[in-house]
Amino acid sequence: MKILVVDDSEAFRRVLTELLVRAGFHDVVEAGDFKGAISVFKESRPRFTFVDMILPDRSGVDLTKEILAMNPDAVVIAMSSIINKRLIQQSLEAGAKDFLLKPTNEIALSSVLTMWSD
Amino acid sequence: MSLFFKKSKSRLSQKEPRLSVSRKYDLRPGRSYIVQESPPHMSFDAFVNIVSTNAGAGKGKTAGLAVTRQHPELIKEKYGLEETPVYWLATRTGDKVISPTNLGILAHMLVKFAEDTDDGIIILDGIEYLVSNNDFTKVLRMVDQVNDHISQSGCRLILPVDSRAFDQKELALLMRNMDKLA
Repeated sequence: MKILVVDDSEAFRRVLTELLVRAGFHDVVEAGDFKGAISVFKESRPRFTFVDMILPDRSGVDLTKEILAMNPDAVVIAMSSIINKRLIQQSLEAGAKDFLLKPTNEIALSSVLTMWSD
Repeated sequence: MSLFFKKSKSRLSQKEPRLSVSRKYDLRPGRSYIVQESPPHMSFDAFVNIVSTNAGAGKGKTAGLAVTRQHPELIKEKYGLEETPVYWLATRTGDKVISPTNLGILAHMLVKFAEDTDDGIIILDGIEYLVSNNDFTKVLRMVDQVNDHISQSGCRLILPVDSRAFDQKELALLMRNMDKLA
């Protein structure tokens, strides 16, 4: 299963990718901003996309909408380093399936993947 | 002192507005969990996730109580806590401040929350600070006392621990009656 990680922090992308690999998901692609994410998504067609809610060019909510417009079956998981309830609500309304607080860990990540995998 | 607890009883069991996300941590009522980490990211993630979500279909929400070394306003802001009482372990005076040397008051508050709450969770962050202000044995006795009450209640306890602050024997004593979350 292919997974896309979208976050402007290279360090966080590396950590999340490592956690995913440890959980058995080896096919992980990355992007650091909205534009890059759209490009990688079109090319890779990932099943899961982890989206940081705050990106340098446009918001994670916008990216969630764009991704689901391209593939309504895609699973988007919103991420943020603070719990901003309004932002979480917006991302869920945009179609995100769940929310992860950054920095995440193996337990939370595995739970989300199990919950939303077919 | 009794006035303090009578007054705080209803405030202690207030519940968070539900967040429409899934429950990611399966922490069983009546159990205490030790988390070896610093800073306590996973501990707070688990705590906030549990107080913000329903336990499952037909089940209600879980009440939370946080005791932390970090300033309560920082904790509330970062984790979006609106109703959960957050107490500050500090040598200051004020509302919702507990002195690190006052282990009796701290234990009493935690035990009372466990006894009064059908479905609850406590996070006790700052055990290193308690040990730096008290004898380790006294802190261990307090944790054991709280643990005993937790095990007979519908509450869970999360205890984040920076293992660098303890020697092997102390860690073993802390962990002996707890599950490890990691």
